[in-house]
Formats: sequence, structure tokens, C-alpha cells
Amino acid sequence: MLNALKRAFGVDRRGAGKKTLAAAAGQRAPSSLLFDDEFQRKLESLALVSRRVFAGRMRAERRSKKQGSGVEFADHRAYAPGDDFRFVDWNVYQRFGRLLVRLYEEEEDLSIYLIVDCSASMGFGSPSKFDQARRLCAALAYVGLANLDRVTVVGASDHQGALMPATRGKNRIFKVFHFLEQLEASGVTDLQTSLKTFVAQHKRRGLAILLSDLYDPAGFESGINVLRYNKFEPYVLHMVEPQGSFAGQEGIVGDINVYDCETGEEREVTVTEQVLRNVRQAHQEYDAAIQRFCTRSHVPYFPAPADVPFDELVLGLLRRGGVLY
Amino acid sequence: MHLAGYPLSALLGVFGAAALGAVLLYILKLRRRPVPVVFSPIWRRVLGDRESSKLFSRLKRWLSLLLQLALLALLTLALGDPRMGAATSDSRHVVVLIDASASMLASDVVPSRLDKAREAATGFLTGLGSNDRMLIAQMDANVTPLSTMTDDVGALELGLEQLRASDTRADLSRGLSFALDSLRGRSHPEIIVISDGAFPESATRHVPSLAGVQLSFVPVGNDAQNVAITAFSVRRYPLDRSRYEVMLEVFNTNDAPAEVELSMFGDGQLVQTGHLSLAAKERRAQFFPNLAGADRTLEALIELPAGQDHLARDNRAYALMPERRRTRVLVVTPGNTYLEAALLLDEYLEVTSVVPGAPLPEGRFDVTILDGGNVVTPEPRLGGLLYLDVPASGGPVGHRKAIEDFGFDRWDEKSGILRWIAPENIQVTKGHALAPEPRDQIVGSSELGPILVAGRRSGQSFVALGFDPRQSDLVLRVAWPLFILNSINHFVEEDTGYISSFRTGDVWQVPAPGPGALGWVTEPDGSRHRVAIKEGRAAYAGIHAGFYELAVDASDRPPTRFAANLSDLDESQIAPQKKLALGGSEAGEATGFSARSRHQIWGYLVLAVLAVSAIEWLTYHRRVTV
Repeated sequence: MLNALKRAFGVDRRGAGKKTLAAAAGQRAPSSLLFDDEFQRKLESLALVSRRVFAGRMRAERRSKKQGSGVEFADHRAYAPGDDFRFVDWNVYQRFGRLLVRLYEEEEDLSIYLIVDCSASMGFGSPSKFDQARRLCAALAYVGLANLDRVTVVGASDHQGALMPATRGKNRIFKVFHFLEQLEASGVTDLQTSLKTFVAQHKRRGLAILLSDLYDPAGFESGINVLRYNKFEPYVLHMVEPQGSFAGQEGIVGDINVYDCETGEEREVTVTEQVLRNVRQAHQEYDAAIQRFCTRSHVPYFPAPADVPFDELVLGLLRRGGVLY
Repeated sequence: MHLAGYPLSALLGVFGAAALGAVLLYILKLRRRPVPVVFSPIWRRVLGDRESSKLFSRLKRWLSLLLQLALLALLTLALGDPRMGAATSDSRHVVVLIDASASMLASDVVPSRLDKAREAATGFLTGLGSNDRMLIAQMDANVTPLSTMTDDVGALELGLEQLRASDTRADLSRGLSFALDSLRGRSHPEIIVISDGAFPESATRHVPSLAGVQLSFVPVGNDAQNVAITAFSVRRYPLDRSRYEVMLEVFNTNDAPAEVELSMFGDGQLVQTGHLSLAAKERRAQFFPNLAGADRTLEALIELPAGQDHLARDNRAYALMPERRRTRVLVVTPGNTYLEAALLLDEYLEVTSVVPGAPLPEGRFDVTILDGGNVVTPEPRLGGLLYLDVPASGGPVGHRKAIEDFGFDRWDEKSGILRWIAPENIQVTKGHALAPEPRDQIVGSSELGPILVAGRRSGQSFVALGFDPRQSDLVLRVAWPLFILNSINHFVEEDTGYISSFRTGDVWQVPAPGPGALGWVTEPDGSRHRVAIKEGRAAYAGIHAGFYELAVDASDRPPTRFAANLSDLDESQIAPQKKLALGGSEAGEATGFSARSRHQIWGYLVLAVLAVSAIEWLTYHRRVTV
């Protein structure tokens, strides 16, 4: 099916990029519930909006800190044997008699890493945070692919799980869909371990967008710090329960046996309204702590309720800026 | 205080077992409802403060256990039915006899006398002392206890609900005997009769001795307007069995004349209506001849203007006519016009004629008529054998001598063969005096010897006539076809006489339709009852008027149907009596049944249980005891 979609979307060389995403969707087999036709139409419109927001900028032209074979002058340095003669600044040599080599800023495409938390807590509640995270991930990936960035998608829980290698070009969006559909919300959250594995495997630094509820028993800080300390540019999309909801624990009163949906840790408890109020307040404090940490650490933070349409969230992200540009 | 229910040892056992179960349930950990949470560290942080109160929580659980044990103790004590005061040795024992005869269905009090009697008995229940015990019995033709001798008001009320009137008269003597037997050896015996007092004088004269027993009478009923059917019979005409005659007797028990509308239903269809004007206290028997339109059942119904008849049960009567079926008759004759003419009179005869010496036809016959001195080899398939001028040899009886100019000088008036015949008028020219065997029945004889004999040979019935009818004036008389048809009926046992119905309340001896030891009686309402059959009859005491059926197990014969009627002059005279005099002494009024408290503590104990349960429920939801 994927090959058929690729052909329909114009991945083959003869008609590359000629067809729109919605037109391609109309010719392929029925899509999944997660990325249905409506979703794809919204992606198309998001791509158009992103072009308006970032109008005037050149695609795939981001100055990197590397010095290389770009066109914009950066600096001089002394000639060393082996340097390309073409970059010797003969004007300087004529004036000062010194062999200096012209250095240019290297132009490179941006690497975007979309890290989706695949722990069991992401699948908790209704609507599912995990589904919302996957939609957001797909939308961000599409915007990135449409701007010719290198997009990598990673599933993470207590270890780095599935990985979709870096790809570029919006024709590859169906590969992203396919990858995201294969992900499942299971396992225990251990961001530190999984992100350590991630940074070890990806030497090329870039923007790391973490889509997670950050319910990490070891603490959410350690996982974000792994990205920070390894020169990635982390961005936190905090997947939170639907607005007004209370992690699915509304109305549980009486003698119950609560157990953690990830670890299975059990605890007998008699729940009263007072206990529920306290738990609700503790959840709010936890979310506030995450936001404070991100602010303090200069990590862009954006809460993403599970019941808000993903396109609204993406538009909010784009308008706020700093995610992709 | 004493225990009227289970003894203390039993209660302790029950409480011990129940308490052990409750404690075990409390010791065992309660299975709680599992609820998943998204991030348990948050719950751990919130609930950490409550750990300190765990000990107090356990104490509250023990408090809940103590409450449960208290509830169990109260319930167990309630099982013992504790009573204040002395034991039951001084208690009264009361037998309440409620008249359930047909007259108790009179509607002179609304809704009926029986319901009033039930109300009166209910009043006694509410006034029953805590140590008193009562037995309630229904009294009609039989005595049916509706409860045991108990102080359980609920059981007594349940028994009262089962009270049903029957279509019988009340047997007061039997009821009193039952009550005396029930009270024998008990302290403070009392009998309360709740009735309209419409007992026959003979019933109140012959009663058992009531010495030492307090007898009370509670009268019910106000008025006594009633017209009743007291007799109802039907018979078929012998020569035309499709028609029948009905005898109906109606009794006006009122002191005023009554205009009665009569309806008769044959097989459920209206076949006759009529109007009767009855004088005060008149009892009139009326015949309705030459009726047609019914084949099996006949039902009579009288109706009066409103207010002139308070008892509807005796306004209906039921009767059954004998079942009609075709009788197969084989005639061996060289030709006999008189015989053929007589056999034509009954359309239900299926006649086959053969000449003497010809092969007999196949099949079974009910009757074989041998005319002109002919004989056949007796076979069971030939049925009963009627010999006209039986020969000296080859027949069942021989000739004693030849005789001339004779007639019937003696005859058996009870024999059906000569029914509706005047034999003294018959003159015979010549014939033979017969020589019957010792067990034969001489139906008719002249001075010269027997001339008409009936009997059995090898299980086969016969009737032998000692002369040729054509040698007499018998064939010229109406008696001739009657004789032939009577003889046929004698063999097929089809009765054309009056069919009397059974009277409700009596023990009926019902002829069984076939051989067997057990059968079923189906009542008019469709209910079935097992009956034993002895010597071909089933004994059954029916108490409802209507049509019954008796079927025999393992018999392919159709069931016997019969009718039952109230037909009781005494029971139809429903004038209520305010006093009851038995054996010269008068029954008093029932006393000592004031509506006071029964002082039964178990009810309060159960209330206490409910109160404690309510308190625990409330505290549970307020999280006080858990």
C-alpha cells in the first residue's frame, strides 16, 4: 500500500512533487483512523500556512556554525599545506604577502528529531494522548519535510525503541505515517535512558522535539537535560490530559486498589472527595513544575491537551515560533 | 422472659457459627476494585500523609466488626422469639371453625357471608394473646384445617387466605369432633364457630359432648331470599333416543311469591326457556317433555329479579344423558317382517341380516338375534344372543315340555327386558316351557313353566324366548318393539332411564370406564385428582357442582362423565341464625380477643437490627466506620 501511495503522491521521478497530498490520498486505499483523509487535508493547509508565516526565507539555507563551502564569507585563516588553492585570498597576498585562506559559512539543512514518548501512560485516558502525540508528530514532520529539512522520528519509552531514519522531502510523509502507525503505547517511562541512547546514535545535532507526558518516575528533568547537555536544541511538547479532565480519575470514590498503569505498582486506598482534590492539585503542581523547569532551562515549552485539535496546536506552535525556524 | 422459638442451645450454636463466619470474612482481606492510575508517584505523595492514620483505620474496622456481631446477636435472639412473662402452659387454645358451605356464599352481606366470616376471624387474630394458640379450619361436608395450632399470626392469616366455599352443606358434627380432637389435652380449650347458623335441625341435635370446652358462635348474614333448583333429571325416550324429557324441581324458600325465568342449555346451547310463578314456600316439580337439541350435557339455570335471590350457587343444576352409539345387530332369520319392522324403529341400530345356514359375516356385533328356532355356534364376536323360540338342542336352555295357550303369569318387574311392557296382556298359542340352569334368571314364566330366560354361557349373555312371537299377539302389540329394543339394551347396557346426578358432599361410588386400580377424576374447574378404583368403582367426595370425568390409567376406553349438583333443600334455606343451640345449650359470644399488644419481642429486635444497619450505612458513607 505504501508503494502505491508513493506512486500516487508522485514519489516516482517523472512526476515528483506534482500532486498534492490530498489528491494523492484520494487515489490510494482507505487510510487509517489516525491519519485519515481529513487529517491529510489539514496537513496540506498547515503547509500552506507555514509558507506564509516564513515567507521570504530560503529553503534549506540555514547558516550553520560549521565553516565550509558556502557562499557567504566568514573568516580568514593561515594557509596550510593541503588547502584548496581556490580558496586562497590572492588579494590579501598581494597586499600583505601572506597566504590566507577564505573561510565561508557552510550551508546545511536542519535536522529535526521528533521524539515520541511511547510509554503506557501516553495511552491512558480518552481521548488518548498518544494519538494526539502521533498526529502532532506527523504534522510537524510534514511541515519539516515540506521545508526540505531532515526529519527523524524516534519512539521512546524506557529505551529508544523504533526509529525512522532521517529523511527529507514531503513525499516521504507516508513513510512517517506508516512508522507512526506501527508505534504502540506500552512500557515504562525512562526518558534519561532512552534519550541517552538517542544522542549516542545521532551525532548530527539539531532540533529535538520531545512529545511526552513526562510522567517519568526518575524525574522529567534528567531526560530533558540529556538533550541539553548534548548540544541538541530541545523543545518540549507536553502532552497533557484533556482540559478539565483529571487523568481519568474522576468519580472514583471508596475502597479501591490503585495501580500504576506503567509499573503496576499497587496501593490500597480509600478515596474520598478530599483525596481526589489533593491528587488533582498534585497533578497541577507537577505540570507547573515541568513548565518552571523548562523556562528556567530556556527550553521552549508548549502544553498540548489531548482534546484540542492538532492543527490548532500546530498553528499555535508556528505562530509562537522557535520550533522549526 | 422465655423463648417461644428455638431453644437457647440452638441459638448459641447459630450465633457461634454466624459470628465465626463474620469474623473470617473480616479477617480475610477485602477484595478491592482495581483502578488504574496514570502516575502513581503523585498518589504516593498525596496519600503519604494518611499513613499515620492506618492504625486508627484498623480500629474503625474492628468497630465495624463489632457492629456486625451485634446485628447477628440481635437476629439470633429474634429467632428465639423471646416473650415477656410466663411460659405457654397457661395459654388459651382456640379452634376456629369457619362455615364454608354453599349458603355462606349468599350475598345478603357484601361481598358475601364467607368474606364476613373471614373478617371476623381476622379480628380474632389481631386480638390473640401472646401466649395463645389458634387453629383455623374450614367446615363444609368435610373439615379441612387451614393451619396448625400456632401463635404465628402470619401462618394463620395465610390459612385464612386459603378459605374457599364449596357446594356442600356444612357438617357441624364432624367439625366439632375435629375441634375436640385438636383440643384434647390442651389448656383453656375454646371452639369458635363462625357461620350463618343455617344448619339442619338434625345437625344441631346430634353433636359430641362439649364438656370442658368453651363454645362461641359468631353469626354472619342478614337476610334470606333464595330460590333454588332442588332436583334435575333427564331421560331419553326409548323409541326415539334423539329426544328427551327433563324433570326440574324448584323451591321458593321466600315468604313471598317469586317469578323465575328458566333457561336450559344442551351441550352449551340454549334449548329451552320458560317462566315459573312460584308461591311463597312452594316447591314445584315440572316436566319438560319431548325436548331435542342436546346430545350429552344438560344444564338448567334459574334467574330472578335483583334482591329476590341471595344465593346463586343453587340456581344451576347439571345432568348428563346416556351416550348414544350405534349398535351392530346380526339377524339370522329366514324372513320376519315383524322383526324387521321393530328393528327399523331405532335409527341407532346397524342391522345385518343373513339367512340360516349362510356363512356369518365378518366383524364384531353387539347383538345376534336368532329367529325361527335357528342357532349358531356361540362366539364372543357375536355379542349377546337373543333366541326367539329357542330350540331344544343347540341353544343355551333346553325345553322342559311343549305348552299351549299360555301367557305371562309371573315376571321380573326389575328386569329391563320387560320395561314399559304389560306382559299380562300377551297371549301365546303354543311354545315350550324352558329348562333354565340354576344361575339363569327367569325373566317371565307362565303357570306351565319359564318362557323367558336370561343368563350367561361361557361368558356370553343370552336371552331365550320359549315361543315364536308370531305364534302370539305380541307382534301386534306396542310391547313387541319394546321387547326387542329392551333386549338389545340389556346386552349393550345402554340405559334409557332417568339419570340421577351425584350430590355434592357425599362420597360417590363412580363406575370406572375400564379395568384398573388407579384413575384420575377431573373436576369441573379442570383440576385433576388421583383416585383408587376398587371393584370397578372409584370412591370420590366431590364438593363442587358441575360435570366431572373419571379416567382409568392404562385403559383405552373413554372416560366416564357424570354430573354433581348441590340439590340440598336444607342448604338452600339460607335464613341466618343469630343463636346456635347445640344439645340443649346455647353457644356464647367470643370474648377475650381485645386488640392488645402481643408482646412479641422479636419484632423489636428486628427493628433494632434495621436501626443499627442504618446507622452503619450512614457512618460508612461518612467514612466514620471504615
